[in-house]
Amino acid sequence: MLLATIFAYLVPDNFFLTEALAILVPPNKIFLSMQPKRFVFFLYIWLLPVMASAQGRHVVSGTIRDRQSGETLIGASVMLMEIPYAAVVSNSYGFYSISAFPGRYTLVVSFSGYTSDSIAVDLAKDTSISITLDAGSRQLQEAIVTAGRNNNVTKPLMGVQKLSISEIKDLPVLFGEKDILKTLQLLPGVQSAGDGNSGFFVRGGNTDQNLILLDEATVYNPSHLLGFFSTFNSDAIKDVTLYKGATPAEYGGRLSSVLDVKMNDGNNKEFHASGGIGLISSRLNIEGPIEKDKSSFIVSARRTYADVFLKLSKDTSTNQNSLYFYDINAKANIRVGAKDHIYFSGYFGKDNLGFGNTFGIDYGNVTGTLRWNHIFNSRLFSNTSLIYSKYNYDIRINSGNNNIGITSYIKDLHFKEDMQYYANASNKVNFGIDVIQHTTSPGVISASETSSFNPLHLQDKHALESSAYFSHDLSLSRRLNINYGLRATAFTIMGPGDFYAYDKAGNAVDTFTYASGKVVKSYFNLEPRFSASYKLTAGSSIKVAYTRTTQNLHLLSNSTSANPTDVWIPSSNNVRPELADQVSAGYYRNFHDNQYELSSELYYRDLKNQIDYKNGAQLIANENVESQVVFGKGRAYGWELFFKKKYGKFNGWVSYTLSRTERQFSEINNGSYFPANQDRTHNLSIVGIYKAGKKWTLSADFTYYSGNAVTWPTGKYEVNGQIAFLYSQRNTYRMPAYHRLDVGATLQGKKTKKFDSNWNFSIYNLYGRENPYSITFEQDPDNPSRTRALQYALFRWVPSVTYNFKF
Amino acid sequence: MRPILLVLASISLYSCKKEVKLNLDDAGPHIVIQGEITDASGPYIVKINQSVSFGSENSFPAVSGASIKISDNEGHADSLTESSPGVYATQSLQGKPGNTYTMSVQLLDSLYTATSTMPYPVVLDSITFRKAGAFGNKNIRAVPNFQDPPGIKNYYLFNEYLNGLLVTKDIFVFDDRLSDGRYFSRDLRNSDETLHEGDSLEVQMYCIDEPVFNYFNQLDEAGGRGGAFNTAASPANPVSNISNGALGYFSAHTFRSGKTKVHIE
Repeated sequence: MLLATIFAYLVPDNFFLTEALAILVPPNKIFLSMQPKRFVFFLYIWLLPVMASAQGRHVVSGTIRDRQSGETLIGASVMLMEIPYAAVVSNSYGFYSISAFPGRYTLVVSFSGYTSDSIAVDLAKDTSISITLDAGSRQLQEAIVTAGRNNNVTKPLMGVQKLSISEIKDLPVLFGEKDILKTLQLLPGVQSAGDGNSGFFVRGGNTDQNLILLDEATVYNPSHLLGFFSTFNSDAIKDVTLYKGATPAEYGGRLSSVLDVKMNDGNNKEFHASGGIGLISSRLNIEGPIEKDKSSFIVSARRTYADVFLKLSKDTSTNQNSLYFYDINAKANIRVGAKDHIYFSGYFGKDNLGFGNTFGIDYGNVTGTLRWNHIFNSRLFSNTSLIYSKYNYDIRINSGNNNIGITSYIKDLHFKEDMQYYANASNKVNFGIDVIQHTTSPGVISASETSSFNPLHLQDKHALESSAYFSHDLSLSRRLNINYGLRATAFTIMGPGDFYAYDKAGNAVDTFTYASGKVVKSYFNLEPRFSASYKLTAGSSIKVAYTRTTQNLHLLSNSTSANPTDVWIPSSNNVRPELADQVSAGYYRNFHDNQYELSSELYYRDLKNQIDYKNGAQLIANENVESQVVFGKGRAYGWELFFKKKYGKFNGWVSYTLSRTERQFSEINNGSYFPANQDRTHNLSIVGIYKAGKKWTLSADFTYYSGNAVTWPTGKYEVNGQIAFLYSQRNTYRMPAYHRLDVGATLQGKKTKKFDSNWNFSIYNLYGRENPYSITFEQDPDNPSRTRALQYALFRWVPSVTYNFKF
Repeated sequence: MRPILLVLASISLYSCKKEVKLNLDDAGPHIVIQGEITDASGPYIVKINQSVSFGSENSFPAVSGASIKISDNEGHADSLTESSPGVYATQSLQGKPGNTYTMSVQLLDSLYTATSTMPYPVVLDSITFRKAGAFGNKNIRAVPNFQDPPGIKNYYLFNEYLNGLLVTKDIFVFDDRLSDGRYFSRDLRNSDETLHEGDSLEVQMYCIDEPVFNYFNQLDEAGGRGGAFNTAASPANPVSNISNGALGYFSAHTFRSGKTKVHIE
C-alpha cells in the first residue's frame, strides 16, 4: 500500500526529479527555489498511511548517553521487554523513539561495552526518558537483556561492519599509530591497498568508490604521508560504520561503500585531557563542559615528527628536508531547551613534504559541519546540516631557472536535511534531501618569467548534486523485517566553461561554451534500495538485499600508490555516471547469549561506466584530460565469512573472503574480462585479544591474502640501445601471496581517579616476511647481458612503543 | 611527481630489495623495426631484430632479407641495402625538415609501413649542468638550453653519450604542452648518479613528431624508473607508428648536438 503510494507519486509525475531540478538552478538560490509547499504536501500524502498506523499508541522517546561523559551513544539497542521483537536502535545523535499501546512495560537499553539498564515505564501518555549507561561490560545476568544485542541478526541491513574505538585500541599496528582504516582491512570484503597502506578496496571497488564521511563531510583524501596513515585520529572518533554496498538510502554518491565516521562530542560533565607519545607521532586530546550537562567541546590534535630525525642529520641536503603531517579535530555542541541541539565540528589536516628550497608539497583536507537537531515531537526527529569540505594541494618547485607553483582543489558546499519518523514499533521512515555544490580546480600553474613552463589556469568545474530519498523500515511479522527505499539523484554540470567533444583519437573536434549558471548537462538516476531479513530462530536469520548506487565524481589515478596529486573530475558530457547494482544474500547466527556472532554473505556486483586510461595518459594539468580515459564495465562477486567472539577474557574474530573482481574494456585484452588490479582470490584475517590479568592485554593479528593481478613481461627487445619489455595481456600474472603476523601488548599503569596511563608495545610483521610491495624489471647493472626481476619489500619487524595517558 | 616517490622510498626505512626468479611466459619472437631519417647527411639506418624471452641473454637476433623502401612527399625514393645482418642503409636520400617520409618493409609475407614527418629544427644553444636530488642524493644533471618556437607543437628527444658511449638507462623526452614558446632549461633526469665532474658528454637533441614522442613517452612510462613505488599500474607496449603489429618506431627528426665536459659552476 505504502509502496504503491510512493510509486504513484514518483513515477508518473517524476516528482522527485522535478523537485530536484527546481533545487538545481540557479546555484545562488539553492535553498529558496525548493518549493517547500509541494514537498511538504508530498511528504504528508506519503506519510498518511504510516501516521494512521500510529493511532492509539503512545511513545517513549529520549536520548541515550554515557553516564560519565555525557557522550551520546550511537546504535544502542532499545526495546520494551514485553514486545521484544520491536527493538529500535538509537540514531546518530543517540535519539530513540519506540511506541506501544498503553500499559506497563520494562524498557531495556543495551550497548556493546556498556552495562545494560532497564527502567519500568507506565505508558499512559507520550513519555520522554533519557537514559545513561555505565561503561564497562559487566557479565550479563539476564538472557532477555542480551536479546537486544542481536540487531545484527534481526535488522534487515546487511553488509555492514561496525567498529568501536575500544575494539581497535589494543590491536598491534604499524608504527603504533591506531588507525581505523587499517583495522577495517581485517574485516571481510575489505582489502588493503598495499603493505602498511590505509587505502582500501571494498568488494572489488576502487579506492575512489568509497564514500568517506567525517561528521557527514566528505573526506576526499583519507590518508596522510602518501597512504601510510589515515586522516582519522582515533582519539577524536566515536563511531565507525562501514556499509559494503547495501547502503541505506540516505547515503549516495559512491559505488562501492560508505564509511561513516562520527566524532566524539566531548565530555559535558568534567574536564579531561588525554594523549599519547609514540615513536613517530604524539597526540593530545582535551575535552570538557562549556556549561555542565548542556554543552561541551573537544579538541584532538596530533603531529608526526619524522622530520625531527632529518634535522639531526649533519648532511645539509637531508636536514633541510621536511616530512610531517598534523591534524586537528574540534567539536562543540550545545543543547538548547529540550528539543534542540546544535553541533559544530571541524577537521583540519595538513601534510608537508619538502626538499630544502627546491621542492615542496602541502596537501590536506578541511571540513566543517554545522548541525541542528530538532525534535518536532516524540516521533519525528530532524537534523539539518550545513557542510563544507575541501581538499587541496600546493606544490612549489624552485630548481635553477624554474620557479613554479601548482595548486589544485576540490570544494563542496553541502546542505542536508534528514527526517526520521518513528510511526510505531514496526514502522520507521527516513526521508530527506541534500544538495551539494561541487567546485573543482583541476590545476593552476604559476611560473616565473625565466621558467621553462607557462602559467596555466585549467578551467574550474562546477556541478550541483541534488538528491532526495526515503526509506521505510517495516516489520511485516515477528520474523520478517524489510527495508525499502529510493534515492533520486540529479547531477547537473554547470557553466561557466568550455566543454569539448573528442574523436576516437582523443582530439578535440568541437567546443561548446557555456556562460555562468547555464546547465551543460544533467544526469538523473534512481537508486532503489531493498533489504529483508527473515528470522529462522531467536538467534539466526537469513537476509537478502538489492542496491543500486551511482557515482558522479571520479578520481584520476594511474599510479600504483596513492598520490596526493590525483585529481577528482566530475561527470561531464564525455564522462558518464558510474553505476553499480549489487545483490547479496546472507546467513547470520548468534549463539551463547550473543557472545559469538557468525555471518556469511554472498554478493554479486555489476558495474557500468568504469574508467581506465589510455597508454601514456597525461593526467596532470591537462585541459583535455577526459580524452585520456576509456570506459568499460566490471563485475565482482564473492563469499564472505565472519566469526567473532564479542565478549569475555579472550575475544577476536576470523574473517575470510573468497572473491573475484573483473573489468572489461574494449581496448584491453581484446575486449574480454580480465582480473582487476585489486583482484585477490583469498583474504584471511585472524584477530585475537587476550586480557591476561589486570595489567596486561595481549593481542595478535594474522593476515593472509593472494597476490594481486599484475602485468609482467613476456619477452624483451632493444630500442634505442635500451632494453624494453614486451607485454602481452593485462593482469595475467599474480604477485606472491602476502602474509604477516603482528603482536602487541598493553601494560595498564596504576589507575587512580585522577590519572590513568598505559604503555603499548607492538611488533609489525613479527616473523619478518618480505612481502613484495612491487616487482620491477631491469637490465642487470652488474651484468648488462642479462635482465632481472627485482622485488621490493617494505616493512619487516617494525617495533613501536606508545605511552598513553589520561587525566 | 617523481620527488614524491623519493619521499616514499625514504619512508620505507625497512625496505629491502632482492632479485627474484619468476616463471615468465615467452610470447615468442616479435619483429622489432627501428628506422630513422634525419636532416644530417645520410646514409640513414633501419634496423630489424627479433625479441627474445625474458630469461635469455640480451642479444637480439638480426633479421636479414627484408626489402625496405623509404620515400618522401617530393617524389624521392630510396631502396635500402643490407650493410650488415639486420642493418639496412639508404643510398641517396637526403632528409629535409617539413617533409613526410614513408617507410615500407617487406619481410617474407608481411608488409610493415610507417610514416613520419620531420619537424623544423630548433637551435640547441648550450649544455649546462645542475646538481639535483634529495636525501644526500646529489646527481649531476645536464641541462639543454634552447628556445621553443611559439605557436606550434614541438617534441624533443635527447640522447646522452657519456665518454663516447650511449647512456641507455634513461629516456629523455620533452613536449611543449605546458611550455609553448618558453626558453627551455629543463634537467635531463638521470635515474642514477650517471654523470661525474670531468666526464665528457655529448647531448644529441632530436626534434621528433607527435607519434614518435608518444612512443618514447609510453616506453618510458611502461619501463618505470625502478624503485618500489615507481612502477606503472598496468604497463603496456607503446603504440608504434609502424603497422601490422611490429614493435619499434620510424622517426624522421632533426639532429643537433652539443659536446662539453661535465662541470658545476
